[in-house]
Amino acid sequence: MPTKRILCKYFKQGACFKGDGCEFSHDWRDPDCNVCTYYQSGNCAYGSSCRYEHVKLKRPESVTPARTSTVAAHTNFGTVGATSGALSRSSGGNSEAWQNNLSSADIAWQEHSPFASYNGGWQEAVSYASADEGWPLPSSSFQIRNEVEDTPKYNDPSEEPICALAATGRCTRGESCPYLHGDRCSLCGKECLHPHRPEERDEHRRQCERNQKRLEALRFSQDIECSICLDRVLSKPTNAERKFGLLSGCDHPFCISCIRDWRSTSQPQGSGSDAIVRLCPVCRVLSYYVIPSVIWYSNVEEKQEIIDGYKARVRDIDCKHFDFGNGRCQFGTSCFYKHAFRDGTTEEVKLRHLGAADGNTVIAKDVRLSEFLGRLNLRR
Amino acid sequence: MPTSLASRARLFKEYKDVQREKSADTDILLTCDENNIYRWTAHIKGPAETPYQEGIFQLSINVPEQYPLVPPQVRFLTKVFHPNVHFKTGEICLDILKTAWSPAWTLQSVCRAIIALMAHPEADSPLNCDCGNLLRSGDLRGYQSMARMYTRLAASPNVSH
Repeated sequence: MPTKRILCKYFKQGACFKGDGCEFSHDWRDPDCNVCTYYQSGNCAYGSSCRYEHVKLKRPESVTPARTSTVAAHTNFGTVGATSGALSRSSGGNSEAWQNNLSSADIAWQEHSPFASYNGGWQEAVSYASADEGWPLPSSSFQIRNEVEDTPKYNDPSEEPICALAATGRCTRGESCPYLHGDRCSLCGKECLHPHRPEERDEHRRQCERNQKRLEALRFSQDIECSICLDRVLSKPTNAERKFGLLSGCDHPFCISCIRDWRSTSQPQGSGSDAIVRLCPVCRVLSYYVIPSVIWYSNVEEKQEIIDGYKARVRDIDCKHFDFGNGRCQFGTSCFYKHAFRDGTTEEVKLRHLGAADGNTVIAKDVRLSEFLGRLNLRR
Repeated sequence: MPTSLASRARLFKEYKDVQREKSADTDILLTCDENNIYRWTAHIKGPAETPYQEGIFQLSINVPEQYPLVPPQVRFLTKVFHPNVHFKTGEICLDILKTAWSPAWTLQSVCRAIIALMAHPEADSPLNCDCGNLLRSGDLRGYQSMARMYTRLAASPNVSH
């Protein structure tokens, strides 16, 4: 099955529930396919704002003999042969037949290859993006060379590109490949570490470690059940429901929707019963807030990381209750959202401490002049 | 998800758990109405070393559609002499069935809480005032013999309901 070699895009987001039955690959080491299929047939309605890559994968009608050189063979035949294995390698091969056989796996591979210009040329001294970004090179940057046998020389070894086939998976040429093969990354197993670019190596390793960690956490989170609906949180039918609600006070797992529903129920009996919904349903520990998260944590640091990440994301969003100063947010200074006025200045809250009759200090509620003016009956 | 669907799904899960763990807890027998998953019946064994010992008590459980956000309505069908159970209606005075309800409770755990209530009567919030007064005045013997009598009369396994 050729698509088995393409990374499942749902899996990548942590949301594929076909598991082993998925027709796409669930292995981070496999490349993902980001080519817009509508653009291939010439009618993508999103145009330049499409989230998929608009790259033409059309081949020339026939392969001219001049281009069936060693390099051309590497780019065209090598790529196709490496991936599908079902295609003819004969230099005079029918390009129509190729195109028909061109499975999505091949498209993905060629997309990932810096040599994948189907004009038969290769790219000249390109500054590479990191391998993780899937070689986002516009086709215009490819230059056709006539003297294809010439291997370009690089003065600085760090300028020399590494073989993209090896970097994204496997290069069938092995030892005889004219391009530099990167060092193998111990985490993802791809030969994508450029020997002369230390920053790129570090970046790749960091990315790989993050991916690995996230995958591990996701796998661990799959079996966790919500104590309210008794279902596994990540097996809920809709995407919005497949989130945990983390309580600040304890470590009991709930679906975000279940715990929010519970916390928003109003108890019939009056005094003090408001507080009961803010206690954890399992251990009755008070939590002031609930944090949504797609993964469950296994230690305190991870929990703090999730909470901090959420707060940081939300801090940039304007609070709808505060409404640029027109409304009033009941959460006041503890609100996670941004309290800023239209001119960009943020709200400054000075808490006013008042001495109450019993000797305790109370914090005065925000009093606005408009509330008094609104009640005044002005005599004319 | 509409609450009716959510409660149905949750009750179905509880049903499966009950079927699976039937043998684990022999003090509680939970059965669901064949046509209505919101109606359940429970048979609980009176706790040992109490006047309810050897009695089998039948409970009717009515589950509201907002379950588990609101508690199920549970009452005794079997007559029971207990300060926190209404002698006529079988209504139960138990905080977790009222204000202290938590959605993490299940029907099974509610039954367990009722068994615990039978073993530890709370004479200060009585639904059965006569029973409560017996206990509050310190007449433990009077309470026990009354409770035992009603257990014999109403809750003995060979008495049909």
